[in-house]
Amino acid sequence: MENLMFLAPELAVVATGLIVLLIGVFMSPQTKNMLGYLATLGVLAALALTIQSFGTEATMFFGTLSIDALSQFFKLVFLAVSLIVSLASIKYNENSDHTEEFYSLVLFATFGMMVVASANDLILLFCAFELASLATFALAGFEKRNARSLEGAMKYFIIGAISSALMLFGISYVYGATGTTSIPMIAENATLLAENPIGLVAVVLLIAGFGFKMALVPFHMWAPDAYQGSPSVVSSLLAAGSKKMGFVAAFRVFIVALAALQPDWQLAFTILAVVTMTFGNVVAVSQTSVKRMLAYSSLAQAGYIAMAFVVMTPMALTGGIFYTLAHAFMKAGAFIAAGAVVWMITSQKTGNLDIPDHLDSFRGLGKRMPLAALCMTVFVFALAGIPPTAGFMAKLVLFSSTIQAGMTWLAVIAILNSALSLFYYARLVRYMYFLPPEGKKIGMPFPYAAALLLAVAGVLAMGIWPEPFMQWAMDAAQVLI
Amino acid sequence: MVKTALEDFAFLIPLLPALAFVITFFFGRKMPSGGAIVPILAIAASFVISLMITLGLLENPGEVVSQSYSWFAVLNIGILIDPLAAVMLSMVSFVSLLIHIYAVSYMSHDPGKARYFAETALFTAAMLSLVLSDNILQLFVSWELVGLCSYLLIGFWFEKPSAAAAAKKAFLTTRIGDVMFLTGIIVLTSDLLKLAGGFQDGVYLLRFDEIFSYIPQLAALQANILGFEVSHLTLITLLFFGGAVGKSGQFPLHVWLPDAMEGPTTVSALIHAATMVTAGVYLVARTFPMFIAAPDSLLVVAYLGGFTALFAGTMGIVMNDLKRVLAFSTISQLGYMMLGLGLGSAIGLEAVGISIFHLINHAFFKALLFLCAGSVIHAVGTQDMRELGGVGKVMPITAATMTIAALALAGFGIPGTSIGTSGFFSKDAIIEAAYLFGEHSNNWIPYVFSIAAALLTSIYIFRLIFMTFTGKPRSDYHGHESPAIMTIPLSILALFALVFGGLTKTGFMSFLEETFANSFVNIDIGSLAVIGQNELVEAAGHEPVFVLWLPLIVAVVGLAVAFVIYYLRIVELGPIASMKNPIYRLLYKRYYQHEIYTEFFSLGIVYGVIAFFSQVLDVIVDSIVEGIGILTVGASEELRKIQTGVVQSYATAVILGVSLLIILVKLIMEVL
Repeated sequence: MENLMFLAPELAVVATGLIVLLIGVFMSPQTKNMLGYLATLGVLAALALTIQSFGTEATMFFGTLSIDALSQFFKLVFLAVSLIVSLASIKYNENSDHTEEFYSLVLFATFGMMVVASANDLILLFCAFELASLATFALAGFEKRNARSLEGAMKYFIIGAISSALMLFGISYVYGATGTTSIPMIAENATLLAENPIGLVAVVLLIAGFGFKMALVPFHMWAPDAYQGSPSVVSSLLAAGSKKMGFVAAFRVFIVALAALQPDWQLAFTILAVVTMTFGNVVAVSQTSVKRMLAYSSLAQAGYIAMAFVVMTPMALTGGIFYTLAHAFMKAGAFIAAGAVVWMITSQKTGNLDIPDHLDSFRGLGKRMPLAALCMTVFVFALAGIPPTAGFMAKLVLFSSTIQAGMTWLAVIAILNSALSLFYYARLVRYMYFLPPEGKKIGMPFPYAAALLLAVAGVLAMGIWPEPFMQWAMDAAQVLI
Repeated sequence: MVKTALEDFAFLIPLLPALAFVITFFFGRKMPSGGAIVPILAIAASFVISLMITLGLLENPGEVVSQSYSWFAVLNIGILIDPLAAVMLSMVSFVSLLIHIYAVSYMSHDPGKARYFAETALFTAAMLSLVLSDNILQLFVSWELVGLCSYLLIGFWFEKPSAAAAAKKAFLTTRIGDVMFLTGIIVLTSDLLKLAGGFQDGVYLLRFDEIFSYIPQLAALQANILGFEVSHLTLITLLFFGGAVGKSGQFPLHVWLPDAMEGPTTVSALIHAATMVTAGVYLVARTFPMFIAAPDSLLVVAYLGGFTALFAGTMGIVMNDLKRVLAFSTISQLGYMMLGLGLGSAIGLEAVGISIFHLINHAFFKALLFLCAGSVIHAVGTQDMRELGGVGKVMPITAATMTIAALALAGFGIPGTSIGTSGFFSKDAIIEAAYLFGEHSNNWIPYVFSIAAALLTSIYIFRLIFMTFTGKPRSDYHGHESPAIMTIPLSILALFALVFGGLTKTGFMSFLEETFANSFVNIDIGSLAVIGQNELVEAAGHEPVFVLWLPLIVAVVGLAVAFVIYYLRIVELGPIASMKNPIYRLLYKRYYQHEIYTEFFSLGIVYGVIAFFSQVLDVIVDSIVEGIGILTVGASEELRKIQTGVVQSYATAVILGVSLLIILVKLIMEVL
């Protein structure tokens, strides 16, 4: 009999999702608010169980699931995002008729991501990938009367379906050449694939499949539309959470299973990383919708993290993994802050109602919603990599590992990109603090405030006292080497 | 034991002002005079602790204060108070204390005074923590923090567009230097990790003693840059110097400093004259063993410093704004300090002594000059010298103290004796060292720069004194002497400007030479100089008499020129000092730097290119993708519904990306 205790965090999430869905049916819209607190508690419990299980190693279900430092680290990332999102969604779902559906979708998506983190078999990995994707497709189009939301969801779904097909295609090649779908077994037989010219095609197809989630250029096309159109809490889940699912899958599949094809995918990631970070930062400069700007900034950040695949030293992997957690806090927080502003604009019914997240809505935010403005400032400074924030630490480790590995040119590109990114981040801060407000001061709803403070705490903790996080990331990187 | 007990309080030096910042920031508005009393008390306590530690060190210079705590991995946070840090700490806390007291009255009418005192308290905390850092990373973090405070305080009156623009300019310009500094730290870190063989427990790689112990290996690493073989140490030190150039307003990054005068005058005195701008000099002094072991680095420092001293002086003589004259004077004097350090390639460790000596003296007399200017502006309400004149009659104390400061800046004193102003001893020491350098290496450029700059210094500062305090009022103003809370700090500073140099000159230099030979580090500068191919002067001979007297002679000539033109008004300057004269226009327009840097380079080229690409790239990518979409789908009716059309082209992009990636990877793999 398998020891199901290893799966306690996943089980807690699924159980909460089912309970929320069930009891929600019997509740009136006024009392459904408590479902949000219930979901938050469930995620919190799963988070505690995950942290408590740090250091355990096990394989389950005939070697298809692996519990190790890497999986636990990424579960921490997903659960942290999920916690922030569920908390903030309490306000978003206020007086909604579909609260139970919303939360169960968030929880099922989280569950899918957690299984991806542990998956040690390509079939399981694919199924979990799809579970998370399907749940997020529905979430992206949750505002069914909002054309922008529907459009984003539609694009996300279609591109997602194509990417799934490409990924499955790639998996079939891998299976065809090596005769197995188990990741450790593929690693043993990967030379078969490396000798075969089809190996390169398989690698690129898999990169396309994962690159869709990671939002690497040119597989990113859906991201700006979806991030802008979706409700902010969902954008937060997509950008901060499900994007990392692509990374953990790529870490396991490329570095562990397909180590024999390292020259191929290393080169492919080099091209993608450079193109993605440059494209993301350059295009972000001209955006006037803040959520769209954050989407392009999120591309750029994915480009930085992808550098870990290029450098491939233990320190670079540590840096890349550390970066995923740092990015989870910064990006989740930034989208929630944008969500608070959208809520302010729509509930006040003044300003640009067509594009409520327009830069103009952020004018004088320092006076209208001081807390949101302060938190947003912390997040964008962290994204730009200014100390003492998580973003600075992540960039420091990642970039210096790049220089150490002798790839100074790559580090120079990345640093120039960071410098460019400061332009549009600082512009947002200027709008919030140096331009006069257009409207009166608004009280901050508690759920938004709590979620923002949680994210700020994460960003600052990782920046000021990075030791434990760095240690976890280092342990996770050890799994890969 | 008293001494150990004192060391235990060293961490309070930056912490107390930081606490004062928190208290003033949150509760200042509800307290009388913006809660000024909190930072004043905190900084006074910091000053007392600093001074007592300094006095302890003076008795026993070998036993420095050094405490380190692990931060994470190979990084630490810690405190190092050696002679260099000790004199800086005492000076910073002392000057900051006086300026805070002065500001109680100066800022009394300003509604934002609570914010003012909070920000200056934070600045003081950051500056003190910069000075007592025992590792380069902590120094950098504080470095950024003082930069932030400077930005906030320059833009203190941010409702004024010129102030907001000046703050932005200062922030962006110094950032160029900061990026270089950070790059230097990154290169250094990666080299050290390589040399030390990775992470080791209990070794703090970025602490100064560790860094210094790797100097020979660092100097041996060679990098190939644009075909030149460059030592890694030279690269690192020049990148550090790049940071110093930005922070200390050296050419060509000095452009922010004159504009920074948009802030309150007290801020100019504290940040842009006495303390923050000297951080660059401090950085070079702090890492001096690296500079001396790096071939060519100190020469670059010397040339750039000497050039800046002269260059800024030429602009100082045509400015009509009281504070702008002083700003250019600050740039020029910082150039002297850099020059002094650069001369280390000939005189070795003594360079740190003379440069820091000038730094401390300059802090006293330049803070005094600014506070006097502030006193005039506060009373009269204008800072345009063309509208002043005769202020000496209504403000005798201000006039007297400012004249003392001017004498110190111009360097009046009697060579060969202990009689003279502070500036006399330190500036002459630098000029004499430049002479020694010339004699030693047959390279007279630094000496010529420094003498020419001394002449200009004397002219512009006495021009300021005569135009402001003598003659008849040139506009209708109602002046009055400032209250005692302002004139007392002025008098104290004037006393220091007058006697500090004469009293301490011998002890100061020998004290500072202990900086790199004590219980924390013990470095043989001579052997490092050999690594850096710097030949040190063995024994200093006696300079000819004219070398000792020449600086005083040019100072007197400068005074005479200013006296003739601006006091006696015998020479009519009309045709020369007009915009029709191309040289005058060139100087007055500050060599057209604003046009070149901002309008041509920043706006025209950089911003233009980025904006262009940002827009064009978006359009190009979209149109390529959509164009291919049209071809592939072949049915343009479908495209009328934009939604479906776009999604199809998105899908095309994905497929296209996959194919392109396969081809690219394949091609590159074949080529390599």
